[in-house]
Formats: sequence, structure tokens, C-alpha cells
Amino acid sequence: MASKPIDWSPSNWPKLLYQFFTSFKVATAIFVLMTIVTLLGTLAQVDQGLYAAKVKYFHSFFFTDKIFGIPVLLPGGLLLMLVLFVNMTLGALVKVRKRWKGLGPLISHFGMLMLLAGGFVTWAFGTDGYMALYPGMSSNRVESYRNWQLEVFPLDENGQAKQAWILPSDELQSIRVDEQRSYDADGLPFDVIINGFTKNATPIPVTANGASDATGKEIDGFKLAPQETAKEAEQNLPGAYVAFDPDGEGENAEAILWAGSYRFDPKEDPMPFQFTVDGKNYGAMLAKKSWHVPFEVRLDEFIFERHPGVSTARNFESRVTRFSEAQETSLEIKMNEPMRYVGYTFFQESFGPPDGKPGEMFSQFAVANNPADQWPLWALVVTTIGLGIHFCVMLIDFIVRSRKKTSAAPSS
Amino acid sequence: MRLSFTLPFFLVAALLATSCRDSGPTGTNIVTRELPESQQSFRLVDSSAERFRYQKRDAAASTESAPAASSAPELIYTTPEGWEKQDGSMMRDVNLAFGENGEGECYVARLPGAGGGLVANVNRWLGQMGADSLTEEEINALPKKPLFGQPATFLDVEGDFSPGMGSTEVMKDYRLLGLILASDAGAVFVKMTGPKTLVGENADAFDVFTSSLDVSLN
Repeated sequence: MASKPIDWSPSNWPKLLYQFFTSFKVATAIFVLMTIVTLLGTLAQVDQGLYAAKVKYFHSFFFTDKIFGIPVLLPGGLLLMLVLFVNMTLGALVKVRKRWKGLGPLISHFGMLMLLAGGFVTWAFGTDGYMALYPGMSSNRVESYRNWQLEVFPLDENGQAKQAWILPSDELQSIRVDEQRSYDADGLPFDVIINGFTKNATPIPVTANGASDATGKEIDGFKLAPQETAKEAEQNLPGAYVAFDPDGEGENAEAILWAGSYRFDPKEDPMPFQFTVDGKNYGAMLAKKSWHVPFEVRLDEFIFERHPGVSTARNFESRVTRFSEAQETSLEIKMNEPMRYVGYTFFQESFGPPDGKPGEMFSQFAVANNPADQWPLWALVVTTIGLGIHFCVMLIDFIVRSRKKTSAAPSS
Repeated sequence: MRLSFTLPFFLVAALLATSCRDSGPTGTNIVTRELPESQQSFRLVDSSAERFRYQKRDAAASTESAPAASSAPELIYTTPEGWEKQDGSMMRDVNLAFGENGEGECYVARLPGAGGGLVANVNRWLGQMGADSLTEEEINALPKKPLFGQPATFLDVEGDFSPGMGSTEVMKDYRLLGLILASDAGAVFVKMTGPKTLVGENADAFDVFTSSLDVSLN
């Protein structure tokens, strides 16, 4: 029997879309593609590092990869999750026939949708950074691991600054090595010109052996030598050729700005490039993007123990005091016991400096703000309840049917 | 009636997917912000060399230690018999000479970041000795010796030495012994060069020196 021809008229498109997104074939295809993407993304982490692989394979709509040497365009994890969300919403919640027997699977699918939604919220709204403190230091400032911005500030007679003009990290990091972009900053008597941004670089003296590998202009005896980007993106130290072009008369002030002039240690002050325009001193530097949490944390004590005879840490934990408007709270942050407060989570992450002595070391916290932090837990609870209900329903159904069969069977 | 849900859902999903990215400032305009007290101070330095954490070393300092840039810990080491400390330079944390006329030299240099990477630096040294470059696999297979408690790549090559650094001089029958420890956290180079025979006589001293290198925790 010939199948009914498909009606492709525009008025029928919503129905066709609905049929497409609710089909089992689409769900199956998504799971197959997810397997492939997960495999490729996991393997890529070896060469590209965790962050770069995560962005390329899982935080993308599409990506290209070579499979057996042939470049292939594949859907990224973000697209697959969105389509799966639509497929499950329409197929498992909307289209499915509503009956008591289907209550368990309905609840379970709702739990899985919560899990997907949680992933989306984390991707879209989550932030992560770190806070490093020596004992006695307090802060409410969190710095990004990997996002760098350009900061320009007028310096007073004491060499201090109260206000900074910032070229945000999204803009700065989008500038290519061979690209020039100019920015007019309101309130500053000069334009800021970026002559190329390198994601990972080292400034080296032009007299050094490796200077022949360096690119760009020689400034103050140095050139910027591009380096391969590190697998762990937070280890990259970017650099940029920057010029400050006065609005009126006067020569450009040119500089190599390098992330290594920022701080590696919370006690250090950053070392900006200094220049003068219209008789006023200014500073400029690459600085990590930072933001504030709505409370302050003071490190009271950092407990650090090494394994005997080796430098490997055996245990490290922090005793802190949290100051918020309402209260002052003393607590401990350990490896698997983070501090959770008003949507922020402080994990005990690291310590330094590497050659520091116990008692003179700083403690580093990973600070995550994830609105969907607890969603996976609740999603699993909901899914478990759904599966439990389904199990009970099926068990009861089985018992009832067995009894019916038994009672219907002729007695011997 | 169910279909009425489909299109709005897609529109909302598409809107969310295209509009939500990392939080924080975006756009092409320079923005301003007030600096909190903790961010108002800077370390103002006079030269790019200091700003890039290079610093001229003071050769008159202790014979058993090398003062380092403010951010780097101090190096301690044993000076082998017959070796003498020399003036430091911008690139060298430790600078030693040996031989009757000081024709052999050995230095330690540290760079922030990977310092160009292992492969590039091994091949740069090979190039200075007139030797052919090695592949990454060949370099990974080179022997290792301990440096600061970690396995560093050891290079032993003979040839005609062109030191570079603006010099066109070529020194015949030289030998280079080198150790490179390159990681994303920083790179350390120990390089010994000199006439082949002299370096051969001091090869054990090179091991004594490199194995004594440590970081002062005082």
C-alpha cells in the first residue's frame, strides 16, 4: 500500500516540526551523536586541555573535527542538549498519552528535563573564579582564571589610582595577533590603540637568543615572543602591543603590555606601564577580570601539612571568617567541605607560593556562582521518585494480573 | 491545541541560546569603574626589564647563592672546585666560568611561562652547535637528569659553537651540556659550553652543580 504523500505546504510546517521533534528517531539520533561528541571531546582534552575542549565540543552549536583525516561538521553539545530538551518535552510530556500507569515515566522524564535545564542555566549564568588570601587578609573580590582585560588609570602624586578605564576581556581577547583596533575613551585625553593581542606570550630582550622567534616591534629593548597556548587556559599569559595616541599634540606612548606584570601572589602589587599625556601620569596594564561577592571573607588560619620528606601536600584547609551585613560567621573550608552562601560556593582549591613555608603561605579558593548548583541533586531525586512509582505500579499490576491468572486457572 | 505551544517554545529556546553568554561586561566601548582600596596601589618600576620580571643580577653577592627577581625565590648551589662566579646579566640568574682562561662557562636562566617550550629550545641549542634539529619524539626520548627534583631534559652535543647574541664568532671543537626544565609554570635552563676537552673534564662538576641547585626557603 502506497504511503500518504507528505503535505509540505507552509500551513503544515508546524505539524511537520512537531512530528519531527517528537519522534523516537530524533531521540535515537541525538543519543548516537552525543556518544560521538563525548568521545571526541574526551579524547581532545588530552591535546587541547580541559577548557578548550569543553568550549569546542560541549559549549557549541556546531564544530568541525577530523575523523580518519576527513573534516566533518558535527552538532555541538549545546545544540544536541537543546534538541533533546525539546524532544523530551514534546515527546515524553506533551504528546504522551496521560494515564496512571504512565505517571512514573512522566515524573522521571521531568527529572531528566530538570537536569538538562540545570546544565543550560550553569552554562548561561554560572561564573567561576578564584580568591587567594594570606592569613589576616580579607577580600570580597574574585578574579577570573583566564579572562584578561586592559586597564588604564590616571596616577596621582603617590602613584595610586582611584578610577580605571577598562577594555573588557570579551573585546580585548577577540583581537587577533595581526589586527589593529582603536578605542576612544571618554574622559581620557588619548585614544587607546591595540596593535595585536597574543593569547600566550613572553617578552624577551632583543639581545636574547630566542628574539628571532619574536614578532612585532621592538619597544624599550623587548619584543613579544608568542608561545603555544597552554592546555590549561589559566596558565596562558597574554601580551599586547598598545599605543596611547594623544587627542592633541604629542607623540604616541607605546608599550608591550604583558600579563606577567600583573600579580602571581596576593601580596604583590601589579606593575603597570607608566606614561605621561598633557603633563599627567597614567598607568596601563593587563589585569584579570574581576567581580565582587556580596560578603567579605577573611582567612584566619591556613593549615598545611606535607607528606614527610616530599613536597606533596597531605592536607590543607582554611579557617575563615565570613562578614555579611547580617552576621559574622567563623567556619572551615576543606577539600570536600566547601562554604556555600547566597548562591556562591567557596572550594578549597590550592595554595602557594610553591616554595612557601608552612605559616607563610596563601590559601586559594575556587569561587563558583551557579544558580543551578543544586538542580542535578533535585533532578535525580525527582527521577528516582518517578522510577520508584513506576516500579510500584508495574509490581502491583504484575501481582494483580498473576492473581487473576491464578484464580482463572481450572483447579486440578 | 498542542501545536500552539511548539512555536513559542522554539522562539524562546532560540532567544535564550543566542543571547546568553558569560556574565560580565561586553561590547566594544571602554567602561569605567571605581577602584576599591585594595586595588589602588601599584608597584611602579622604572624599566620594561623590571616590569617583565627580568633583573640585573649582583655578582658581588654571596658566593653560594644568587639573589633573584623579587617574585622569584633565591637560588642556592655548590660552586664546583675550579669554577668562578662571573658578573650576572639580565638573562642569567647564575653565571660561572671555568678553565685556565675562563673559556668554559655555565649559567642558569629562568623564564616565566614555558620560555618558548622544550622543542624550540633544544633545537636552538643544537643549531648553535651546528647540529641538525630533532623531532619532538626524538627530544622526548633524550636522557633525563634531575633538576630541582624534577626530570629535566639533558642535551650533550659537540660541534662548532655559534653563541649568537649578536656575535658572529664561531668556536671550533666545542661541547655543550645542557638541562632544560620547561613547564607552563616556568622554565629553567642550565647550559655549559666550552672547548670539548675542557667540558669533558668538567662533566662531573656539571652534575655536581646541577644536582646542588635548590631554592632557599629562608
